[in-house]
Amino acid sequence: MRVSRPAFTTLACALFLSACSTGTQDVDTGSAEGRVHGSITFQTWNLRAAFPDYFEGLIAEFEKKHEGTHVKWVDQPAEAYPDKISADAAGGTLPDVVNVSPDLVAPLAKARLALDLDRAAPQYRERYLPAAWKSLQIPGMKGTYAFPWYLNTGPMFYNKRLFREAGLDPAKPPRSYDELFDAALTMAKRSDGRIATLAATPTIEDFGRYGVRLMNPKGTAFTFNEPKGVELLERYKELYDAGALDSQVLTATPEQAGRKFMQQSVAMNPGSALDLAKFKKDAPSLYRNIGVADAPNNTGRPNMYVQGLMVNAAGENKATAVAFARFVTNAKNQMDFAHETTVFPSTKGTLDDPYFTDDKDGDDETRIRVSSAKSLDKAVNYTPVLLSDDMKTVLQNAVARVMRGDTSPKAALDSAVEECNRLLKLN
Amino acid sequence: MRPTATAPAPHAGDGHRDEETAHRARPRGRRRRGAGFSDGRKLPVWQLLLRYALLLAVLALMIGPFLWQLSTSLKGPGEDIYSYPPQLLPEDWTWDAYSGVARIIPVWDYALNSLTVAVASVLTNLLGASLAGYALARLRFRGRKAALVVFVMAMLVPLESIIIAQFTLMRELGLNNTLTGVVLPGAVGAMNVLLMRNAFSHLPYEVEEAALVDGANVWQRFWRIALPSVKGTLAVVAIFAFMAAWDDFLWPLIVLSDPDNFTLTVGLNYLHGTFADNQRLVAAGTIIAVVPLIVMFACLQRYFFRGVSEGAVKG
Repeated sequence: MRVSRPAFTTLACALFLSACSTGTQDVDTGSAEGRVHGSITFQTWNLRAAFPDYFEGLIAEFEKKHEGTHVKWVDQPAEAYPDKISADAAGGTLPDVVNVSPDLVAPLAKARLALDLDRAAPQYRERYLPAAWKSLQIPGMKGTYAFPWYLNTGPMFYNKRLFREAGLDPAKPPRSYDELFDAALTMAKRSDGRIATLAATPTIEDFGRYGVRLMNPKGTAFTFNEPKGVELLERYKELYDAGALDSQVLTATPEQAGRKFMQQSVAMNPGSALDLAKFKKDAPSLYRNIGVADAPNNTGRPNMYVQGLMVNAAGENKATAVAFARFVTNAKNQMDFAHETTVFPSTKGTLDDPYFTDDKDGDDETRIRVSSAKSLDKAVNYTPVLLSDDMKTVLQNAVARVMRGDTSPKAALDSAVEECNRLLKLN
Repeated sequence: MRPTATAPAPHAGDGHRDEETAHRARPRGRRRRGAGFSDGRKLPVWQLLLRYALLLAVLALMIGPFLWQLSTSLKGPGEDIYSYPPQLLPEDWTWDAYSGVARIIPVWDYALNSLTVAVASVLTNLLGASLAGYALARLRFRGRKAALVVFVMAMLVPLESIIIAQFTLMRELGLNNTLTGVVLPGAVGAMNVLLMRNAFSHLPYEVEEAALVDGANVWQRFWRIALPSVKGTLAVVAIFAFMAAWDDFLWPLIVLSDPDNFTLTVGLNYLHGTFADNQRLVAAGTIIAVVPLIVMFACLQRYFFRGVSEGAVKG
């Protein structure tokens, strides 16, 4: 099942494009004229279980504000969300307002199913952080295809006890990739390869933070096989051979990496502010030794993840959909959502609120929230919008081949870039 | 009707099979104690011990993760669930995780949806697969071989490659977002048809010839003679169909849009939080999803093993 996934996704995309390119050619993706009235469907991505009250309140308020509107809220589980969306796009059953991440909006925009906000609702552009707005644009296409919604960024957690035992200074976590690699090699040497520093192979975000250029500006070809990218992989290979990466690193999911960190067999792991509470509850002995740092980077710009709200350009009631998407992503409602959980609003000025700048109360969670919010100032979304899930798998497999020593970093990245470019053309 | 009384040939299979054959030979008799050859010879003690050691090792491998989930779901707050080596006995028992699951998602509604789908799938598979299997095994018609090949080929097509087409079809039929839409594509599984065909074709043909001479038509032969002889395989088909319907995730997810109609496997996925994962809830959800399968298997176990060997060549 798992193995055939990339092939499936490719096929699904092909099917879905062929299925809707005929029907959606005449869809107007540039305007959303009309009265705010009638009913729409709003789809979120795995938020119902944790925040039912917030969303029900939001919808009630919108319906009160705009007499005669009705919003039906559906929520989809975490897994296989891209498959769900591509099936709905092919079947013409896509909801009016859809929660998307930038990589999900790209195929929908190409299939003329996403409303271009630069044409349909340009007046809202100035209300959002420029980096967030920009992350929902697609290289090679004009326009912005979703409202920026909540942002996420997270610190790097490290295990102070393991740092101390390896003779590293627990007060000085690595800040750049060079420092990270040095620390990892020391850790491996001092512990005889028993304690690994990282439980994950480099992802596309690591390439970005390392300073590798990932894609050409026109969005026609990937470029992560440039010398800098090769250098990153060479360094990682060195770590892998020294035992500084966990032994199961080649197949580990983020969830498994987190578990290794909680078992204290891995010294560093990226996470979010919510993880602290989890450590406290599930791994108390780790919690006593936890250290928090910014994720290492060479560019001075941390990574952020963006969620957006896309308006279905083929929907029946686009005016209401735009009004609702704007309503959910306005400053007040994003601020309220940020109080519900550790996410960050994408509206201009909202991050200056004392909630994100004042860490005087001494609470762990507040401290991390404030430092994360500060880092968002300069953060960018490194993951190229056009990098689909199957391309991520291509990169991951190339990295795994290098780690096992089957091929050289240069050759692996060259072939990965070639394969990604081929998949890019397919769409 | 089944030639169960023939003495099974002695063979050097594993203890489990031996015991099973012995059991089949005397269905009403008491299960024999200890392992041994079916002709009564005793096993040397060391071999017996080795067998049990191996069986226990496999047992630990199979149910270890399950036990870990069970223990995680029962552990109280503040207990280290990721400690290594894992600690299986919770110090602080609690059912909190289970009530937590019920609080977050309407778990009973989802379970009812799953049960509806699974039972419907079992019924359609039993009916469809036995009819098709009987036709392929016993009836002579043009294109019988070709039909058989089609069924084998159907098993080779991965669901993923046709799922979008299936979805658009369901949409055309107006069955998307309904439980009927969930059941329909798996209503008659190719694998089950082949299982039934195998079972029917291994029945002695003479019995049916005798019925034919007595004037039984094809329906009567199917219903009165053939079907009662393949109860074991029917149990196997029932379990397979139940498991496939109960465990399926991708298809129900694609075809259902409204969370109210979700089946249990799809609904339980909500327990994986977007921002934080509560391993205890996930574990409790897993246990809730697995228990019906265990109960189902425990009930049909007797028939199941009979059915597994039914299709095989008999003496």
